[in-house]
Amino acid sequence: MTDTNFSQSSSSIGLNISRVGAEEKLQGKALFANDVVLKNALCLKALRSELPHAVIESIEVQRAINSPGCVAVFTGRDIPGKNRYGLINKDQPLLADTKVRFVGDPVALVAAVSEDAAQTALSKIKVEYKELAAVFDPEEALAPGAPLIHEKGNLLGKRLIKKGVPDLAFQKADIVIERKYQTTFVEHAYLEPDAGAAFVDQSGRITIYASTQNPHYDQVDVAKLLGLPENMVRIIQTATGGGFGSKLDINTQGFLGLAAYLLKRPVKMTYSREEAFLCTSKRHPLKIVYKSAANKDGRLLAIDVKIIGDTGAYASYGLAVVTRSAVHATGPYEVPNVHVESVFAYTNNSIAGAMRGFGVPQMAFAHESQMDLLAEALAVSPLEIRARNILRLGSTTATKQTLTASVGIGACIEAIAPHYEQIKKSIELTKTKNLRGVGLGCMMYGIGNTGVQNPSTAQVELQPDGTITLFSGAADIGQGSSTVLTQIAATELGLDSNKIDLVTADTGMTTSAGATSASRQTYISGNAVLDAVSKLKEMLLTEAATMLRTGRASLTLKNGRIENISNNALFVTLEQVVRKAVTEGIPLKWQGFFDPDTTPLDPDTGEGNPYATFAFAAQLAEIEIDVLTGEVTVTKVVAAHDVGKAINPDCVKGQIYGGVAMGLGFALMEEFAPGKTVSLKDYHVPTFSDMPDVHAIIVEDAEPTGPYGAKGVGEPALIPTAPAILNAIADALGSRIYFLPANLERIMKAIHSGTSKPLKIKLMV
Amino acid sequence: MNQENPQDELADLEISFTLNDSQVRVSIKPWETALETLRNKFGLTGVKEGCGIGECGACTIVMDGKAVNGCLILAAQLDGRTVETVEGLSSNGTMNYLQKAFLDKGGVQCGFCTPGMLMSAKALLDECDQPSKKVITNALSGNLCRCAGYVQIVDAVEEAALIKSKDAEDQAVNR
Ligand code: FES
Ligand code: FES
Repeated sequence: MTDTNFSQSSSSIGLNISRVGAEEKLQGKALFANDVVLKNALCLKALRSELPHAVIESIEVQRAINSPGCVAVFTGRDIPGKNRYGLINKDQPLLADTKVRFVGDPVALVAAVSEDAAQTALSKIKVEYKELAAVFDPEEALAPGAPLIHEKGNLLGKRLIKKGVPDLAFQKADIVIERKYQTTFVEHAYLEPDAGAAFVDQSGRITIYASTQNPHYDQVDVAKLLGLPENMVRIIQTATGGGFGSKLDINTQGFLGLAAYLLKRPVKMTYSREEAFLCTSKRHPLKIVYKSAANKDGRLLAIDVKIIGDTGAYASYGLAVVTRSAVHATGPYEVPNVHVESVFAYTNNSIAGAMRGFGVPQMAFAHESQMDLLAEALAVSPLEIRARNILRLGSTTATKQTLTASVGIGACIEAIAPHYEQIKKSIELTKTKNLRGVGLGCMMYGIGNTGVQNPSTAQVELQPDGTITLFSGAADIGQGSSTVLTQIAATELGLDSNKIDLVTADTGMTTSAGATSASRQTYISGNAVLDAVSKLKEMLLTEAATMLRTGRASLTLKNGRIENISNNALFVTLEQVVRKAVTEGIPLKWQGFFDPDTTPLDPDTGEGNPYATFAFAAQLAEIEIDVLTGEVTVTKVVAAHDVGKAINPDCVKGQIYGGVAMGLGFALMEEFAPGKTVSLKDYHVPTFSDMPDVHAIIVEDAEPTGPYGAKGVGEPALIPTAPAILNAIADALGSRIYFLPANLERIMKAIHSGTSKPLKIKLMV
Repeated sequence: MNQENPQDELADLEISFTLNDSQVRVSIKPWETALETLRNKFGLTGVKEGCGIGECGACTIVMDGKAVNGCLILAAQLDGRTVETVEGLSSNGTMNYLQKAFLDKGGVQCGFCTPGMLMSAKALLDECDQPSKKVITNALSGNLCRCAGYVQIVDAVEEAALIKSKDAEDQAVNR
């Protein structure tokens, strides 16, 4: 920074500041969890069930303990606290006690002097099982007589949303279309497999370095597992190589805490890719029966939606997906009559939990396919039918929440409309040997957790040398929250963003910012930072006004000074204010808090205001299909996202590009088979060559309660892509695919059989 | 591999190679991968392990000018070679043109794929002055990224190629 008095405004909002931490990562210096070196750390490995459902009759560990280099073998019995954890429902044992519920359930934990020694010890543990009947389908799991997975029964949860009188509306409708949609388990496939390291310090406190999205939650659950007060566990987030929801769960943290605590020795655990596939949570497969009614003008009159979800062996974030998928069933459209029932069951499949979008990507596939089916039946254009039904200011959502600000879906559709028309025309005009198509996908996404409190806190501290330190519990997993929070604090204090020292996601240094999930960190933690910084700013202005003998209103913060707006020769430096504050006992550290204004959903009707704000988006996909091979090439995606305000446009675009890639994988190739998929050889994620030309358009319909108007983009980025691609495939083929992913086999079937037959169609125009 | 072989020690091999411009010598197990040696014996933890079976590219290093997967080659194969890792890109703490282009174009999100991406890109740009988008995508096709959707990474490599050719021009002019 130059030492000039008259630099332009210091606002960094809307600037493309480089990502915090990027330089270390580019030099190979950033420490990821597996890069943490603790002297003489023992290697931990878990023995995992190969059976999907079985009672454990005995575990014989002596031979393993005797094997060279093995230091200890732990089983469920060794857990000092309560052997149950979980993000919402505490239903998951760290190490199986009585039985195993999926292929991959951990049964024993080995600590050994080397990886090889740990592997050898693992192979010497003998577990006797009595196999139980298993169930792999949620509907079967809920049928009478199904094998019982948990004592409380196989129902995870249920959510009802009721608005208006759907039955009547269906009777009066000009058109009713009902279809069934299905999706599969999807793997997060973050590039960094889960890892962590831990040690116990002299005071007995356990410090765990972990690759995590959720340090403060980890702390609470690890402490409970160990039967310790929370302050005896410290979680430090290391650089984290992606998460997308699966690093919200405790993956290695519980094992690390257990072994470090019981052995009082440093320990380390790194999942193999195979383990990351088998044992961590996935995207929920959903079955969605979706019935829509409209009048002949293409106005939506009613929807009736039944959602059946499979949460696998344990709940993880499943309950949040039960609700969020139901709440988002309408998509970004105003529907006067709504009935949604969402029911999720436990099965003996892999765990399904949070994955980028919490069920909304699956729902968007259904509601966007329905919109195109209605458009086709009514001979309205896909653009037009959407434009007629979108949420606007004053609209009410399915939960009867009235939208009062920042409803940018119309603007998003307008932004992509010319591209859509142009591609449509070019497809009509140019004949190619491949089939071409274009499709739309729209979405809304509630920012933050659904109808429950989800506060964030932050602190900002003025240091004796006049520098500023910002403390936030928010875990940056690559999406850029650290950068955005820094920009917010810097702008408020009139500093360049590189003048802010940032401490994040360390439970020993920061207070909770809540999870890095639900696209909430910019909006919620951004507001918490703003709150803390505003308080510091107040203090600075008050003190400077006294020092300069002037009114506060005539002062501004700029470049580390508090100066007179009209005469910048009159100023005090932050350092001078600190000196005064210290001698007068004025606090230098200020606390910020924000909890979005929401109300819980009514258990019978789903009525309520579950979110304080919503993000919106519209995307189009242009595709080509090789009819001989079934290969789909996505050639172009135009993605318009209403983010409220882009604090850092390059970061927003980065999220959009990454979301489009993941959405493309969801649409065309990603399918995880529980207990079977174990490597990136069997599970394909998009590569460089799969990427279309992506045109990202940022729409800014400012959210009055957001920091500088910002909302969020992390999950919205992914949601519209798969529906747009599937609609483009239907456009190209003239027949529609109802099962994701639309892989080669499904494309070929659609080409040859024309699967576009509705379950039921009633047209009375 | 026999993990219980009590004579493990006897099986050590001695190799020497050029590592990021320094001559190094190290003793290794015959079954050790280059990835393990670089991370564990040289502390070069910028070399990442994402899969261990050649599917992700996170472990990419440059060996005799070619980008290779560190997890697929044995440490023994490094003997006598010239090896470059991400740690060798900066000089005296200053990032090189390729790293700067990644920073500038927002090519880094979580950063786990980044070292591998950089090394694949380096091998490409050392060979080829002005690669087309297609050539870039092909050269980097073995490197997965789950965060960034590749767009800004391609931008970064294109920008790096530009900087490099401009630098070369400037040098030619100055000569
Ligand atoms: S770790 Fe070598 S390719 Fe994945
Ligand atoms: S930036 Fe995360 S995998 Fe590439």
